[in-house]
Formats: sequence, C-alpha cells, structure tokens
Amino acid sequence: MAAEPAAAAPAGALQRSQVDLVDFVDWSGVECLNQNTGHSLVNALKQGYREDEGLYLESDADEQLLIYMPFKQVIKLHSILIKGPEEDGPRMVKLFANKEHMGFSNVNDYPASDSVVLTTAHLKGKPVTLKYVKFQNVRSLTIFIEDNQSGADLTKVQKIALFGTTVETTDMKGLKKMEDH
Amino acid sequence: MVLEATMICIDNSEWMRNGDYSPTRLQAQSEAVNLICGAKTQSNPENTVGLLTMAGKGVRVLVTPTSDLGKILACMHGLEIGGEMNLTAGIQVAQLALKHRQNKKQQQRIIVFAGSPVKYDKKVLEIIGKKLKKNSVALDIIDFGEEDDGKPEKLKALLTAVNNNDSSHIVHVPSGPSALSDVLLSTPVFTGDGEGGSAFAASAAAAAAGGGSFDFGVDPNIDPELALALRVSMEEERARQEAAAKRAAEDAARQEKEGGEQSSSSRDATMAEPTNVLDPGTDAKGPDTMDDETALLEQALAMSMDDPRASQSGTASMGDTDMSEATHEDQELAYALQMSVQDTAKDSSSQTDMSKVLGDQTFVSSILKSLPGVDPNDPSVKDLLASLQGQTEEKKEDEPPKEDEK
Repeated sequence: MAAEPAAAAPAGALQRSQVDLVDFVDWSGVECLNQNTGHSLVNALKQGYREDEGLYLESDADEQLLIYMPFKQVIKLHSILIKGPEEDGPRMVKLFANKEHMGFSNVNDYPASDSVVLTTAHLKGKPVTLKYVKFQNVRSLTIFIEDNQSGADLTKVQKIALFGTTVETTDMKGLKKMEDH
Repeated sequence: MVLEATMICIDNSEWMRNGDYSPTRLQAQSEAVNLICGAKTQSNPENTVGLLTMAGKGVRVLVTPTSDLGKILACMHGLEIGGEMNLTAGIQVAQLALKHRQNKKQQQRIIVFAGSPVKYDKKVLEIIGKKLKKNSVALDIIDFGEEDDGKPEKLKALLTAVNNNDSSHIVHVPSGPSALSDVLLSTPVFTGDGEGGSAFAASAAAAAAGGGSFDFGVDPNIDPELALALRVSMEEERARQEAAAKRAAEDAARQEKEGGEQSSSSRDATMAEPTNVLDPGTDAKGPDTMDDETALLEQALAMSMDDPRASQSGTASMGDTDMSEATHEDQELAYALQMSVQDTAKDSSSQTDMSKVLGDQTFVSSILKSLPGVDPNDPSVKDLLASLQGQTEEKKEDEPPKEDEK
C-alpha cells in the first residue's frame, strides 16, 4: 500500500479532520452473519466495548464473517482500523459500498470496492488507508472477512473503527472556528 | 411477536398414503399447515408463510412467502402423492426462497415435515445445518411417520448443527389417536419460544381438546356468564336425575311383580336422562347399575320381538319423564299416570294391529272357526266379513273415482 507512510499516527483523527464514524452508524440496521451470539458485533464496534480486551467478535459455523453497517447519513470513507489476535485475526477483508443485504452466496458475485490483506502489524492497531475515490458516497458498508491469519476454524476480531468525513453536514469543528472569529 | 418469514416443507412422498395419522399422513400435514399459517399470521400480521413440496417429480415451490392465508390454503388442495422426499434439496430451495423475501427485516425460518425415511448421512445433514446457521436461518423439524433406525439421530444432528440460541426445535410425533396438529399445538413450533403465538395456541388447544382443560369447553375467563349458566344447569340436572333414580328404584320393586315391560320403560326414562347429560352423575347411578342391566336386557328383548310396540313404549317413557317431573312427591299418582299413558299407547298400537289383523282374511276365518257356536259357512257371517272387506275396498274405490272426477 503506497499510503502507508502517510498514515503514521495511531487511532483517533488522522490527517485533515478525519473523524471516527462510529457516531454515524445506524445501529438499528446493523447485521452480522455467522457471528457467535455470545461474542457479537457490538463487542467490536461500540465505543466502550471495543477497547476492552476481553470482549471480541467471534465467528460461529466457520471462519467467515459478513458485517453490514448502514449509516445515518452519507459519508466518505478514508481508512479502516481492524484489531485482532495474531493467530485468529482476520486476513483477507473485502469491502463493499452501498450493497445491501448480501449473503455468503453472492459475496463473490460482485467486485469489491476495495480489498485488504491484513498483516499482524495492522492487527496491532495500524489503520489501513482505502481507495478514497471508491468511497465517496457511502450509505452503507459491507465488510466481508474471508479468512484469518492462521487458517483456524474461528475468526476473532477485537475492534473495528472507520475513519472518514460526512458529506451533507458541515464539520462541527469548522463551525466552532467560525464562531471564534 | 417476532417478525418472521417461514417456509414450510411438506413431505408428499409415497409414505404419506399411510393412514396411521388420520385420515392419511398427507391430510394430517395439511391440517397442521393450516394451523401453523394461522398462528404465524396472528402473532404478527406482517409475518409471511410460504409452501413447498419435497417429493413428487422434484422440489416444487407452491407459494412464495406471503401473508395471504387464502393463497396458502388453496395450494393445499390437489397435492399429489408420489416419489421420494429430497430433504437436502428441499431445505436448500427453502433457503433460496427465504433469501428473496420481500421484507429483508424478517427473520428466516424453515419448518420441515420429515415423514419418510432419511437417506442422507449425518455429515451431509450437518453441512446443510451449518450453512443454515451461517445465514441465520432457524429450522423446526417435525419427525413423524416412518420410524427408521437412525432417523432421530440424524435429525438431531441436523438440529444441533443449525441451532443458534435455541431458536430451532425438533418435535417427535408418534402415531396415535390424537391428530398431528393437536400434538403440535403444545410444542415450541407454535408457542414460538414461549411468546407471541401462545395465545392462539391456548385457544386452539382448548377447542381441539373438546374442553378437556375446562369443565364445559368454555373458558371461565373468556365467558364467565356462560360457564356459570352451564354449571348451574348441570347441577340441576344431576339433582333431578338422582331423584328420578330413587323413584325408579322404588317403582321397580313394585313393578317387577306386575310386568317386565313397564319396569323397562321406567328404566328407559332413567337411561334416557343420563345419555342426555354431559357429565352423568355417578352417585345416582351407583345402586341402580345391576337393575339397569336387567332392564336393558328386557328392553332389548322387547325391541327385537316387536318393533312398533317398542317405539310406542319409547314415546311412553318420554311422557313418563314429564310426568315424573310434575309429580315427584306423589309416587302413586305418578304410577297411575304412567299406567294410563301405557294403556293409551297400547290402545293405539292395538288398533293399528287390529286393522291389519282384520285385513288378513284367512286369519279371520281361522279365528271364527275356533270360536264356539260360529259357523264360518253361515251366510250372515259371510256377509259380515264381506261388509268389513267391502268397507276397505269401498274406500279404495272412492279414492280413484274421486280422482277421475277431478
């Protein structure tokens, strides 16, 4: 990935007011296929849970996971951060923008908007910059985790964080600056 | 109240001709399907149900998930029996049908009626189960019909592969007197993990069991006035029956000397009453059982000997019940009334008999011969006979001429 040297700073807002998009996730429509109900998606996505080492998202019948996240408004997605254990963490991850209600059967029918191969460095907390041009007008995001690092039967994910900007509303920080003037 | 899309897989293979579930296994399945559709739609009006058959020429989807009950019921007609059940293909097609449901917010559920033997191994079934679990499809298996070695284990393995958080169930229904649908009513297939459809299931169960759980088939919670009225009338009937039985016992002691038939008719009254009452009072009947048996025997004999007579005595006994009600204090009066009713009955019956007897000329002539001092060849006797017959003939002649005149 060519953008790796630029994305040096860990977590939080990266260059040029990229915000954590967790606030814009429409929780009522979030779905995760093949998750273990004891270790569900909230453990990896929600604010308090994802920081806790003990709580993680785990797959159920096999090692694949299909996560669907709609957003409250249109966003631009810049980068993604996935944290997980070294052995059971995800390896091949495909992202689909604006594809609703996908299933495991048709996940390979469409070309992915972007696909990422994670290394152990990424799983420790290094965000991955995506092809920004492909994610300019994102209403919903589907994350397909195809396999894991060690080829184990189950995949574990510690944390998933998305970074980008919103399209319609103005940046709140920008508003504050105006007021200061 | 779970929002759910359900696909029901029916087994219409050759094994379904069997009548161990009345009337045939296929009919039992149809009834169960009707009940399931009703329950699902009632628990949430936005629920949809679809139908497919697994045997026949191949897996065929009859109805895609819809909330229109009429469509589903219409498809149940004209189902043909034949072929072998293809369980794996059936489940896969059901999964596909659910995938293309219109409302993606609905949970997915498949209900399978597994009546014929399962020819797949455990491994194949487990793979199918895992696939269902991966796509978060719940599965209910109804194991009935053929009891194959290993069928319960295979289906159990399928269930454990699919089961996620106890949303999938398996029900074993052995063949027996109760209908398939009645057995299913109490299972989680209907009660839906203990919520929602239980109201429907409870009312249907009460109706189906014929009021087994409640005294009169009426839930006191739903209709207290009706239940109370039924209970009061029951108690009144029981009291009346006990009094009548006591009276009958005393009458019998007296009447046994007089004639067997009358005691049988009075017994007939007491016998008629218990059959009319829903829950016969056992206390009144206790001491009378032996007498009732002999009375029944007499009654049967009387009926076999002379049918018209017995029917007359039947009407007399109906009159007897009315009488006994009116005069329950004065038993001698009741007895007298009874006798008079009997006589009138006998008279009317005897009159009809008489006319028949007179009509038979040979019988008449034989009687006349037996009578002392009567010579059948005497012209006056002959004239009398002729006049009797002539009356009947005249009547007959009168009718046709009248018709001719018209």
